[in-house]
Amino acid sequence: MRPYELMVIIDPEVEERTVEPTIDKFLNVIRNDGGTVDNVDIWGRRRLAYDIQKKSEGIYAVVNFTANPDAAKELDRQLSLNETIMRTKIIRPEEQKVSAK
Amino acid sequence: MAKAEIRKPKPKSNPLKAADITVIDYKDVALLRKFISDRGKIRARRVTGVSVQEQRKIAQAIKNAREVALLPYSGAGRG
Repeated sequence: MRPYELMVIIDPEVEERTVEPTIDKFLNVIRNDGGTVDNVDIWGRRRLAYDIQKKSEGIYAVVNFTANPDAAKELDRQLSLNETIMRTKIIRPEEQKVSAK
Repeated sequence: MAKAEIRKPKPKSNPLKAADITVIDYKDVALLRKFISDRGKIRARRVTGVSVQEQRKIAQAIKNAREVALLPYSGAGRG
């Protein structure tokens, strides 16, 4: 099990209220695999530094979770299949912290 | 003894120490903005005055931030 941090950019045309349940549904992948979701942070609408799919805005969300590498990979795959999700990025935040000490 | 006058470059203040930052996070856009030019390029270490290790972390963080459109790729501003 490893800590991960997931950042997703969701289509700005999606209602902001529906974002949290949508993400939560995806996170079941993690829970079913025995991982834990530690924190979900919806940043809300934000201007993009450059256009993605011809859109200049996006709804940002950051999720911290602990999971097996396979589950993290599967989550990323499923997110990328959804059309309302413009971009995903999974990083392992702890890597930085360890070497910064 | 004409060589006696070697100009010592003045030590730059480390902007990370000044801001008291230990973990460089790609989400910290305000911090990373200090390390890119107005064209979006990553500033060289001789300009930023941080250590090699820190510069590497900063560069990686900027690249991560670019991937999620928090920071522009260089030249994206069309300036």
